[in-house]
Amino acid sequence: MESKPRMLAILDIVTILLFITAVAMVFLYAPLEAVMGQVQRVFYFHVANAWVGMLGFLVAAIAGVAFLRKGDRKWDVVGMAAVEISFVFFFIAIVSGSIWARGSWGTWWTWDPRLTTAAIVELVYAAYLMLRQGIEDPDRRARFGAVYAILSFISVPLTFISIRIFRTIHPVIIGSGAAGAEGSFDMTPKMLQTFMFSLFTFSFIFADLLWHRIRLGQLADKTENLRLKVLQ
Amino acid sequence: MLSSILQQAPAETTRYMVAGYSVIFSVIFLYIVSLIVRRRNLKRDLEILDEMELKEK
Repeated sequence: MESKPRMLAILDIVTILLFITAVAMVFLYAPLEAVMGQVQRVFYFHVANAWVGMLGFLVAAIAGVAFLRKGDRKWDVVGMAAVEISFVFFFIAIVSGSIWARGSWGTWWTWDPRLTTAAIVELVYAAYLMLRQGIEDPDRRARFGAVYAILSFISVPLTFISIRIFRTIHPVIIGSGAAGAEGSFDMTPKMLQTFMFSLFTFSFIFADLLWHRIRLGQLADKTENLRLKVLQ
Repeated sequence: MLSSILQQAPAETTRYMVAGYSVIFSVIFLYIVSLIVRRRNLKRDLEILDEMELKEK
């Protein structure tokens, strides 16, 4: 089995250092928010997790298009890897958002447009992961995965714009201006720097995990092919 | 003086912050562990399959 590429080892180290720095910024550099208090610190990684979620679903949709155009199974491995990582990070975003909501809205959950569409996105991609398991033929599975990833991506921008087109209590962070939002706040320069650095760090985490997960997918493919060969 | 009277202290929400970051760190950690475990299992399967293939030859 081939050893870990040098670039991946470097990416691992850079990602760990960035993550440590981001954690330090969240807890030591960013100031305490005047109204919400400590729970506001959840916001930095909550948004960064949601960002990774949406980024991965986009990558999966692009990989789906690439697979349908070229028919190369490597794009299926990329798509599957991206969906799995994003599913995990989007789950974290939903749970951490719920905890933040309890601290600032006084409730764990409300059927607000943003929360509802986010839950739908997570369920749509949970179905992707489960349905794939039920298809044995690798080519059929890859074709199904590609079409599903492209169609289901429609739910992602809908979630992003839901707080801009519907009446909602969820704060608008990027392109702010939600007058009715509960728990919205003005970011000081230090808060903004921490927020942007968290997004930057989580982009690295995504790239690093994606590379690792693609290698795992390639290894799984190799094992599956050898198993079929030996059993024949 | 007046501003200090009017100024309210931030809400006490430390436990929610602790809960939030506990979830964030633990789920990321568990996912990384799952990647490592799955990779190790696949490598072991591959070694067994390689041996079986050699025996058949």
